[in-house]
Amino acid sequence: MVSNVESDEARQQLAIVRRAEAAPYIDYPPTPWWYSPAVGAWAAGMVGAFTWWRSDAAVFVGLLAALIAVELVFVAWMRRRHGALPMPGRGTPPREIAAAWRGYAAGLPVVALAVALTWWLAGAPVAAGVTFVLVTAGLAAYERRYAAAAAKVRSRLS
Amino acid sequence: MIDGIDPVIHVPKRLAAMAILANAPSASFRFLRDHLRISDSDLSKQMSALEAAGYVQCTKDGHGRGGSTTYRMTAAGEQAYAAHCAALRALLDGAPLPPGEV
Repeated sequence: MVSNVESDEARQQLAIVRRAEAAPYIDYPPTPWWYSPAVGAWAAGMVGAFTWWRSDAAVFVGLLAALIAVELVFVAWMRRRHGALPMPGRGTPPREIAAAWRGYAAGLPVVALAVALTWWLAGAPVAAGVTFVLVTAGLAAYERRYAAAAAKVRSRLS
Repeated sequence: MIDGIDPVIHVPKRLAAMAILANAPSASFRFLRDHLRISDSDLSKQMSALEAAGYVQCTKDGHGRGGSTTYRMTAAGEQAYAAHCAALRALLDGAPLPPGEV
């Protein structure tokens, strides 16, 4: 038989667990205004690099290498700035955050398909422009949805 | 002490630190200190206890103001944390309801 003292203590411990497990997802610094357009420009650069795929291999490889280096530096900066940046596959996000992540995952193939279609119809330079617009707009929408989800979790756990 | 509860993780500050580390690949000293709302020296003490138990690993990059300290959970820490949480939940399965929920 479990005593009231033991069960109260267990409840207190699980309340600590719930709040702290959510912390990496909901305690984060404000997203800078340039975040969405910067990621959009990076993705556009990746697509645009393919303009030189067959005509100038050195430019193509150089651009890809530079963009990958920028990405690595950016992710390292993000991790350092956040302090405990959550990653899919590790831990259990609160249900509100998981729903925002699912929306992000569902949007990715839609953007990829639109870019691929534009590339096929109009070539890499135009597809790069479309990539910039779609990634910037999509990411801005995701950031708003994530912030609303995080606010809901904070309210639920407070 | 309740059966199945890990005495190292049972301390609330350490439990919170383990819960954070279970949901991120790593956590900085600053993030843990700000979330736990404790002093630098207290956090160092709590994390040293988790490190001594083999539950977390500490990495220090650089020195002085630009330097940073990060922690990540070890495989042993993941097992211990999961077992601790499972023991708490199992305990509540057979527990009387709290006042107001009767």
